[in-house]
Amino acid sequence: MLIVNPTFGLAAAAGPTVALKPINWATDAIALMSNSKPNARELLEGMKAKLGAFRNVDNIEFHAKNSASQAAPKELIQAVAGKYRAALLALGD
Amino acid sequence: MTDIADQEVIDIGNLDVEAFNEFAAAQGWSDGMPLYVPTEEKVAKFVDTVRGDNRPYPPVPPRQIVPTLQSLAANAVMAGCKPEYFPVVTAALRGVLDPEYNLHGTLATTHSCAPMVMVSGPIRLALGINCGSNCFGQGWRPNATIGRALGLMLLNVAGAKPGEMDRSTQGNPAKYTFCFGENEEENPWQPYHVQRGFAPTDSVVTVMSGEGPHNLNDHGSTSGNGLLTTFAGGMANPGANTIYGKGPMFVIIGPEHAATLKRDGFTIETIREELWKRSRVHVSRISEENQETYVTTGHKPDGDWFAIGRSPEDIHITVAGGPGKHSAFIPSFGGTTVACVRVAV
Repeated sequence: MLIVNPTFGLAAAAGPTVALKPINWATDAIALMSNSKPNARELLEGMKAKLGAFRNVDNIEFHAKNSASQAAPKELIQAVAGKYRAALLALGD
Repeated sequence: MTDIADQEVIDIGNLDVEAFNEFAAAQGWSDGMPLYVPTEEKVAKFVDTVRGDNRPYPPVPPRQIVPTLQSLAANAVMAGCKPEYFPVVTAALRGVLDPEYNLHGTLATTHSCAPMVMVSGPIRLALGINCGSNCFGQGWRPNATIGRALGLMLLNVAGAKPGEMDRSTQGNPAKYTFCFGENEEENPWQPYHVQRGFAPTDSVVTVMSGEGPHNLNDHGSTSGNGLLTTFAGGMANPGANTIYGKGPMFVIIGPEHAATLKRDGFTIETIREELWKRSRVHVSRISEENQETYVTTGHKPDGDWFAIGRSPEDIHITVAGGPGKHSAFIPSFGGTTVACVRVAV
């Protein structure tokens, strides 16, 4: 007996490949991104304190989504990508 | 050998229905209840009902695959739908694929939300969708299987496997099925789809990622004003996502309550305004920790009161159900929208 696979689908077209540049964790600007859930900010503050033990943290800055339940807006992602060399994400819940 | 997941058509040999159900469960295709067998012949009958709807489907999140009409129909067959239900199921799927519905978020969340499917217009009666007594409950095949078909699509096409991609802490019985029709015949105002700009003759599916219905019992109030006090008290819920997630919600008014409100001069707009004013939650009912979280994430109180949505327009209102002094409140996930799609028939 032949049946139709209820999970079948075609893979969506892949997005453009992004070439990653090397990151200097000792000096580069870093974004600390919160998913806006409780305790995400605390996780990121801990990360900033850890980083502060061996580097200057003036160019390490906090950012958060507008809503815990929705994806970050493209504008925020583009702004972070433009200003920082790395982003650390905290997924509190 | 090609993996089963990569095959649109699978030869399962001579499996009987029981053996097919064991096979399907092993593949992860089941919601836990018995399934019909999605044979090529049955699937073809379903696909024939939507041949005129050539709009392509976008990739379905979180899995990000583009389904075929055959794979969608296989889910509707397995759910127990009749072929003529399939255009309603595909309209519901198009609704949850509205980017503002936030399908990825609503499927991956720890919240209990499930897709509420409400059907409006002539197709309700043509298909025999229950709009009256026990409309949220059991006993009607289209209500039971249309909602179930959408749930199976979200499992099998979207990839929302419980405990894996679907991270709901406790889930919700509405994840099995949550489909009902508007009671347009006893709605003293405009049906919901007409409120949204569709013609009364259009058949429309409305979806919202919501909790199950919360009952609003009021046998005692004999005035519309009294009913709204009860409704607002039931809606003022500090444990609902909408207290800080700020999103839409439905108030489904029972026909007897609707008649009282209409008699006392209330309109959809004035009901919405009154519920908005009266359903605010006093800060004394919200923990200090939560107040701090809400404020730091941009949801500030108005004086000593937290609103349960962004504006009166977040409160969506219609009529469903049968005789009795009950209505229902359905809060949403929060970060979602109420999407309406005309059924392509």
